[in-house]
Formats: sequence, C-alpha cells, structure tokens
Amino acid sequence: MKKTSDVLVIGAGVYGTSVAYSFAKRGCSVTLIDASKPGKATAASAGGLWAIGESVGLGCGVIFHNADEVSSTEPEPVPRLFMHLLKASNKMFAELAPELLLQTGMDIEAEVGTGLLYLLYNGRQRRHAQSILDWLGRDQALAEEWDRQRVLAHDPHITDDVLGAVHFPGDNQVNPLFLNEALKRAAINLGARFAGDTHVTDLLMADGKITGVATTQGVFCSGLVINAAGAWAAKLANMIDQDIPLVPVRGQIIGTETLQDKLKSNISTVDCYILQKAHGEVLIGSTTEMVGFDTGVNYEMLTDLARGAIRAIPALERVNIKRTWSGLRPGTPDELPVLGQSPEIANFHYATGGFRTGIVSAPLCGELVVANALGEKPRMSINPFLPRRFNGLPKLKHVKTPRSAIQPDAAPPQSV
Amino acid sequence: MPGGQIHRAPRSPNAPGPDPDGERIRRDLVANRNLIDVRTNTSVWGVFDRKRVCVSDGDASTILTAKQIILAPGAQEYVPPFPGWTLPGVMTAGGAQALLKMTGVAPGRRIVLAGSGPLLLAVAAQMAKLGHQVVSVFQAASRRSWMMLPLRAWQAPQKTLEGMKYFGTLKRTGVKMRYGRMVVSAHGDQRLTGISHAPVDASWRPDLSRTETINADALCISYGLMPRTDLFQIFGCKMRFCEMRGGWHPERDDQLRTSRRDVFAVGDGAGVSGASAAILEGKLAGNAAAHALGACSDACLEGVSRRLGRALRRVHTFGAAINQISYPRAGLLDLVTDDTIVCRCEELMWKEVRTGIEQGGTDFRTLKSATRLGMGPCQAKFCWPSASRQIARLTERAMKEVGPISVRNPIRPISLGALAKKAAVSG
Repeated sequence: MKKTSDVLVIGAGVYGTSVAYSFAKRGCSVTLIDASKPGKATAASAGGLWAIGESVGLGCGVIFHNADEVSSTEPEPVPRLFMHLLKASNKMFAELAPELLLQTGMDIEAEVGTGLLYLLYNGRQRRHAQSILDWLGRDQALAEEWDRQRVLAHDPHITDDVLGAVHFPGDNQVNPLFLNEALKRAAINLGARFAGDTHVTDLLMADGKITGVATTQGVFCSGLVINAAGAWAAKLANMIDQDIPLVPVRGQIIGTETLQDKLKSNISTVDCYILQKAHGEVLIGSTTEMVGFDTGVNYEMLTDLARGAIRAIPALERVNIKRTWSGLRPGTPDELPVLGQSPEIANFHYATGGFRTGIVSAPLCGELVVANALGEKPRMSINPFLPRRFNGLPKLKHVKTPRSAIQPDAAPPQSV
Repeated sequence: MPGGQIHRAPRSPNAPGPDPDGERIRRDLVANRNLIDVRTNTSVWGVFDRKRVCVSDGDASTILTAKQIILAPGAQEYVPPFPGWTLPGVMTAGGAQALLKMTGVAPGRRIVLAGSGPLLLAVAAQMAKLGHQVVSVFQAASRRSWMMLPLRAWQAPQKTLEGMKYFGTLKRTGVKMRYGRMVVSAHGDQRLTGISHAPVDASWRPDLSRTETINADALCISYGLMPRTDLFQIFGCKMRFCEMRGGWHPERDDQLRTSRRDVFAVGDGAGVSGASAAILEGKLAGNAAAHALGACSDACLEGVSRRLGRALRRVHTFGAAINQISYPRAGLLDLVTDDTIVCRCEELMWKEVRTGIEQGGTDFRTLKSATRLGMGPCQAKFCWPSASRQIARLTERAMKEVGPISVRNPIRPISLGALAKKAAVSG
C-alpha cells in the first residue's frame, strides 16, 4: 500500500470515517488506519440519534448522572450551542442515508418517525420533565409530554406502571455499525485507502510538525494528521507530549435475540435505554463507568440493566440475551467533543470526544473538522470545541466541571 | 446425562448397542455421589471476572467459584459452506448420530455421508447395521492414505481393530466407499433430493469438470472436529492454532494446565485427540488438580503422570495419524460460490462477506461490524472457522494472525428474566 497521502486519519470509528469521507469528497487523498481493538465506542453504541433527548440529559445522560452522584439533583442540559450542533447533525441523516446507499449500496437503516420516549415513573421525574420542557420553550417539534393513556395506546409493550412520558419526535435511530462501514466504504470509493489492524507506535516530529506516523504496518506520511482515536485519543496525543483531558467512559450493553414483535419507539428511563434495531434485536444499555481501558462486563451491572429493561417492558423477561459487551466512549470534562487544530502542532487535528452523542454528531463534526483544516467557512463555529479550551481544566472525574465555565448561555433549568 | 457426546446414554431401544465405558463412568459417579456434586441439565452460561462461573439449570443462576477448575467442553464438527448446504436434509454426521442414539431414527431413506475422518465411518456403520440405506460414503482423503493408517497406528492396535470392524460392516452391508472425492453441492427445491460429487487433488481442490450426481434425501457432513474454545477464552487462557488439532485450542503444559495456574484443559476441547485420550487426560488433570490442593503427594502425582503420560503419548500418536489424514485442506475453501450462504444465522452470502473482507474487514471485529457475520444466535461459532480461513487465504496471512472469535457472555443463551433474578452463590 502507498503510504503517503494528503491526510492520515487515525481511528476508523464513526468520527474517523466521517472525517475521511468529508476529505475524500473534497478530492483530498486520504489514508484511514484502524487498530481493530476491542472497546471501540462505535461498536458498543446503540445508534440512537437523540439530538434533543441527549441534549436535555434524558438519554444516556440520566444514567450517567445517576452513576455520577448520589445527591438529589437532576441531570442538566448541555450548552445550547451544542444542542444546535446535534440538531443540525441529526438533520443531515435525511440526506446522508440515501447518499451512502448510492455510494456504497449499504442501507444505514436510518429510521424516521420512531422517536424517543422517556418514561416517567414518579412525580419527581415528571416535575423534572416539565422543567426540561420549559427549557426547550414548550416547542412540540422538539418534545412533548404524553400522559399514561397516550403512552400505553402508543405501545402496549410498555409497563402500565408508567405515569407518562416525554416524547422526542425527532430523536430516531440508525444502525451505527452500518453507518460506520458505509462512511468507510464511501470514502474508499472516492479514493481513500484503508488499513485495518494497524497500531500506531510513534508520532514522528520535526520542526514542530508531525512528519510521519510509525505503525505496526510501517511509516505513513501525510501533510495532515487527524487524531480520531476515540477513547485512545489522549494516549495518542501523549506520544507527542500533548495533554488533553479525555478519558475512556465504559458503557456496558446487552443485545437480545431477534424478536418478531416490534417496539414502537426508542425508550429511555432512569435505569436504561431500550431500543430495537431493524434486524429485531433489542439493545439495552448502558452503564457509564470510569474504569480505564477495561473492556469487560460486570455481572451486577448487567443485572441492573436487565431489571431496568424488564421494569419498562415486562415482556422482555422471557427474551434471551445473545451477547453482552462494552465500549469505551471518549469523555471530556464538559462532555463536548474535541474538534480541530491542536494549539501547539499545526498539522495535528482532533476529531474525538463523541462521548454519548458520537453517532448523531458524527456527520456534522466530520464536516467541521475538515472545513477547519482546509480553511473553509464552516457551517457553524468550531471554536467552542477546539482543544485549546482545556487549558487548565482537570480531567473528567466523577465530579463535573461547571459548564458555565465553557458556555455562558447554558442556564440549567431549576430542578424541583 | 454424564458421558458427553461419545458416551451419551442411548435412550432408544432402536439405538446402537450398549456402551460399557459410558455405563462405567455413570456408575462411578453414582457410587461417589457423597464426594461429587453432580449437576445434570446444568450448563455454564457465563464467566465473570475470569473466576465467577454462572451456571443455570434453565431457571435462576448459581455463581460458583473454585480453587482448581478443569474444563472439558468438547468439540463441534467443522462444516465448510458449499452450495446447497442449508437445505433441509443436510446435517452434520455427529448430529445424525445423536439423532440415531436418542431416537433410533435415521435422517433419511437414501443417506450419503461425506467429509473426512473416522466419525463418518462410525456413523455410516451404525446406520447400516440398523438396516438404514447408506448409499455412499465420500472421504476426501485418498484410499492410499487410509490404507497406510494401520502402519502409522501400530501403537494402538485396539483402535485399528475398531476401524477394521467399521470397514467390515460397511463392506458387508454394501455401502459404497468413495475416496478422494468430495460432495461439492447439494440439490433440491424444498429439501434435499440429490448431491454432486467430484474428485479432489492432494489439497482437496475439486475438479468440477468430473462432477457426478446421485439421488439422496439425507446428507451427513463431517470434516473433523474443532475444539469448543469459548470457555477457555472467557477464562483468559492463552490460545494457539494448529490445524492438526482442530484449529484454536488452549496452550497446556505436561500436566494439562493452561496458561492459568488454576485452570486445566482436557478432552477434544483442549485439542482434538479422541475419546480414549479424553479419559486419560481427565485422570491426569484430576490428579494434578488434587496435587495443587494438597490432596495428592508429589510421589503419587509423579507415578500417575508417568503411567498416564505413556498411555497418552500412544493414543496421541494414533490421533495424530488420523488427523494427518483428515484435517481440512485448503481446497475446501473453493467450494463456496457467490450465492452460497456462509453465515447461516444472518443469511449472508459469500459475495457479501468477500466484499466485507476486500473493504478491509480482515479481522473478526471489523468484518463482523461491516457485514453482521457472526452476529446471530451462534455468535460466529459456525461461520468464523471458514470465514477466518478465507481471510487468511485472501490476505495471505497465517491463521494465528487472523485470530479466533472474541467471546463474550453469555456463552449459552440466558433470558433477561433469569439474569435479573438474584443468583445463589455457592462453592
């Protein structure tokens, strides 16, 4: 394989492939390399495109929040600017899906109209939901409160212990693995080269620039190097003494056997999310744990997920589990992605930090990184996501950094 | 029922005759039931933290831990995909044998067996003896390699005798033995009605220009056995690949200990060596584990090791001679056509999987995400052996570089309800 190109993308997760595809569309020569390690976040993602649900903390966020602290507070929304990014990126799937089908023949199974239902089990959750709806400006296109009758009429699989739900009509789903593969194949179709099972051993520097990337398959040279190494991005940056406060956040997930019966919506609760893929499997996730690079699963936590799923959908009790696994999400202290140029090394750019919104944000984040690298006018400002924002910030621990330090307009709703 | 696949207790009056070894094993277990906690109908569905063993008898789980663990998971048959192999009427030879033992029922009225190895002979002889019509047995290996076997296997005269008996039965009942030929495709609309076979060269590449077709309503396939590796992998034992031992299997020392001090591997699951080896290996590992727990002296273990070691080397030599004839050759990979299903669970055709490989899916994780290969109920246990060999061939790499499947809990299906129930802890 020819080892010289305009751009070298390290990491073929959903961010890396999105970046590679965006570069390839602009006619740049791209090489994409991947280490094929266990724990890739894209492979452990459920594929929910929950732009609004995750923005207000009612997807994975609520589970993260519960793992995070024992206090009586509720999860906070993300900065509005990031919600706008997620919304805009989510909208891109409507064009991306047919485009990828045309390019590669692969159907990324982008569903329309399933929506996300956040189930409310008690009065406190309902009061919190109402504060969220207020924060969203009571815009029914974004979210709407459903009462118990409406929830049960919509999907009789849902437990009748439910008090009601918040419905997010635009929060659908996609097959994350097929999205990843289709982006990769589309990039390859446009001339990109792909090398799997390729581990980076060193980043070679001269005159403050990266001159080559040493790997288990030889040295790759390119004018521009993109760090899309996901949870391993900080390790990669460390090779050239760059420090970013990004850590792996493990998410364990359960996949069931294929079911004939279909759930009507994506479901999330205070315990877990439940979503049925096009092939009929139900995915139940996910934990959020800081356990380093351990990609194992934990019996007690899986048991909790199983209980949470049966609580929401009692019929799942008799359904067999096919597989359990885990992925390492790249998490930052402000839970925002890390995009664009490194402050110290001009030809080293980041495309990582997708955390719990990696799939939905991938199309736009890929575009932003490429526009930033090529000096194009971006669709929206990349500034809030540049790695330079971390100067002086601690790593993501089980203590959160106040978001107001990054995004002044992120007024959290008052929790009751 | 204790006894495993080989010494499984016959349940049907029409099944093949008594099995003294199996009866002795079961008698010993009953006689020692105050020392041995025997749990039947119980399987390991998961192993957590490489030490907590979750077992289930169909309802709630129990979590077991132990100071010394002996794993004897057994083997499964290797069936490479070929056109028509998913038709009703096509099954594994071992599956047909189990059916015969449990119910006395033969898989069809015109039965063809094909593949390689001694299991085909044993099953064909059992069927023929019970009066079922076995039309032909196709052995991919040449007649000459079979004729040479007694020379190589002189250390195991009993085994040779057993083999002669099978050949005798087949001859007496008029079963046609065809050597150096493979079944290259199976035909039928709703179910199997016929098969095509062709001669093969030394690496089993079929010469399709010399294909012949015969009628059959049952086709029993076996290309030897592959160790079941999931338990070893989930315990974190180091694995190695050797085509002659059935593919991936755990590394072991002289006392059959794996790379873990507290885990032993015995039987075909530890590398295919046959039933006689399995019994000897069980004894050796049992003594070594007892020694590790202080229940067997150094001198005792040394004596046992010497005696069993000698016997084991003899049967291993015989096993190696058999494996030398029957291990799967590269030509098997030529049988797939573009439209051959290569992943039964996900109904993936070879052209889809080949595209996945060509687009960089050259390891298990990448190919699986790209194509859904191995994402079904079998979790790649049936498709990966062939798919990985195809990858090795297309990328010109060794099988050990392509790697085994990645094993995750649960290794047997368990319901969400059973997982959600609080498990009992014992041991």
